Amino acid sequence: MKKRWLELSVGLMMVAGIAALITLAIQVSGGSMSRNADHYTVTALFENAAGLSPKAKVTMAGVVVGEVVSVGIDPYALKAQVHMKIDGQVNYLSIDTSASILTSGLLGEKYVGLTVGAEEDVLVDGDVIEDTQSALVLEDLIGQFLLNFGDNT
Amino acid sequence: MTPKGIIEIKNVTFYRADRAIFKNLSCTISTGKITAIMGASGSGKTTLLRLIGGQLQPDEGQVFLFGQDVALLNTLHLNQLRSRMGVLFQSGALFTDLSVFDNVAFPLREHLNLSADDLYNRVLLKLEAVGLRGARDLMPSQLSGGMARRVALARAVAIEPELILYDEPFAGQDPIAMAVLQRLIKHINAQMQLTSVLVSHDITEAFAISDEVILLGHSGVLAQGSPDELKASEDPAVKQFIHGEADGVIPFHFAAPPLQEELRGLNHD
Amino acid sequence: MINVIADIGSIALGKLIRMGEALLMLLQAIVVKPKLSSISRLIQQLYIVGVQSLVIILVSALFIGMVLGLQGYTLLSAYGSEQAVGQMVALTLVRELSPVVAALLFAGRAGSALTAEIGLMKATEQLASLEMFGVDPLHRIVAPRFWAGMISLPLLVAIFSLVGIYGGYLVAVDWLGVYGGSYWGNMQQAVDFNEDVLNGMVKAVVFAFLISWTALYQGYSCIPTSQGISAATTRTVVYSSLAILGFDFILTALMFGGTI
Repeated sequence: MKKRWLELSVGLMMVAGIAALITLAIQVSGGSMSRNADHYTVTALFENAAGLSPKAKVTMAGVVVGEVVSVGIDPYALKAQVHMKIDGQVNYLSIDTSASILTSGLLGEKYVGLTVGAEEDVLVDGDVIEDTQSALVLEDLIGQFLLNFGDNT
Repeated sequence: MTPKGIIEIKNVTFYRADRAIFKNLSCTISTGKITAIMGASGSGKTTLLRLIGGQLQPDEGQVFLFGQDVALLNTLHLNQLRSRMGVLFQSGALFTDLSVFDNVAFPLREHLNLSADDLYNRVLLKLEAVGLRGARDLMPSQLSGGMARRVALARAVAIEPELILYDEPFAGQDPIAMAVLQRLIKHINAQMQLTSVLVSHDITEAFAISDEVILLGHSGVLAQGSPDELKASEDPAVKQFIHGEADGVIPFHFAAPPLQEELRGLNHD
Repeated sequence: MINVIADIGSIALGKLIRMGEALLMLLQAIVVKPKLSSISRLIQQLYIVGVQSLVIILVSALFIGMVLGLQGYTLLSAYGSEQAVGQMVALTLVRELSPVVAALLFAGRAGSALTAEIGLMKATEQLASLEMFGVDPLHRIVAPRFWAGMISLPLLVAIFSLVGIYGGYLVAVDWLGVYGGSYWGNMQQAVDFNEDVLNGMVKAVVFAFLISWTALYQGYSCIPTSQGISAATTRTVVYSSLAILGFDFILTALMFGGTI
């Protein structure tokens, strides 16, 4: 009887531990294991990628569809070169898709937003997004505002 | 096979740290007898027992157990030899996480492939022999010192060994427990026709049951013979030990430089 | 001066020899063909090492989760983003606090008990007696305790994380009134199973190894007297705690340190 209790309690502990791990997978991480799943890479050239860093979100219509892999300089175009990996299931981005660097909230993190165009052909692995809008730099914005303000008076 | 004895120790030298416990020690323990290994504390009695059991290796010389050199055996063969002998440790060494029954059953489960019924009966018989059949479901922590040692004895003889080693079986026992153990050792030796080696410094008890006594001292064997021979011995060291004299040839002092040199402020220069 | 350097050298060599001994002991203990009878011994050790540590793990996890919820709420509400408290509680627990705190508690609760038990077995000649019965004490005593530690701690860490997250929920949602949906939603968006949960479990396995190894070696090699056992028990707790914290930094740098 004592031995049964011992085996039972050990069994319960094992089940509880494994159940906890499964709950962590489903309830806590939301089953977000898809980052290693099937995906393809596209590149976008920005005039200015200030504040964008690897692992930043790539969204479409506000939904996460991928992440930034790396941010570098294109030595020929002298522009910021942003490599992104896009979820393989999102295979309907037209070739005239535009990419812009956005900010979540006033001071929040930078992320890339994609807007799909009208073309029939879609982006495939290794393609480059031409139509881009750069990051908003607060200092430039304030400078422009002051300039306009000065003109009006 | 050496015909002379079940245990044969030849020119054994053993060092612990830098201190020689044994220098060139030789002795033979003959089959079928109760042999007492005696000596003052620190004369290496327990060390000798461990050398016999193969738990320690001599620095020089050889130990033959059942005619085989213990040092040359691999683990498997050593364990085969060990399955032919039982050991009763000084503290009993019962496994504290097992009941009395399981303790006695332990060597049987390890070495013999008995059916459940045979195992049960055998354990009960051994416990009956030491008078503790009724205590089979107790845990070792619930036993008195004397009872624990009797359980350990039942465990040591459970596999019906040819040789049994007792490490200080009488130490720290009350007179009744001592008498019980004495009777058990003698009884078991006669009944099972085995060879017993007991390490002890309790002269009266050891002399009363042993056929042969080996007296250790001065890093070797001081004397060997029957209890009566030893009692009649004229050797001063033997006499000192047997009659329990504080002063004699066995030094009271641990080896040290002369006191004059060690005391401070007395330097004679 | 040369003497000092020589002393340092001899101390270092001594430590190296001890490490070698400890490694040998572990290898001898665990490199063995498992027998059917060893399963029941493993279960018994799982009970002693794992089940008996459950209470302390559950209680600490609940309180740590509650404290994180409270602190997180106070801190984040200053920026008006208290709905991110779930994310903060979960990431702190899963990546860092669960493995480290559970391991430290485990070292104090189970590690010290293992050392004391084996030391006492040595002192009462139980190990020598096993040897005389032809049974290797490394296989019989050390191996099941080692595997019990390796299995228990990762399970305890998973339980710790989950209970802690619910503790945070209790304070943030039930008590302070954060919207439950955003507690879980933010958390699910921020926590990645492979990167966060599994990396935390990798830490747990490494810590389990460090604790079990230290505790068993200290017990097995202790001086079999009451002083020797108490010194060995202390060493188990000190060494394994230091090893846990040190390795935690190394592992964190490797896992989350990004590109250095």
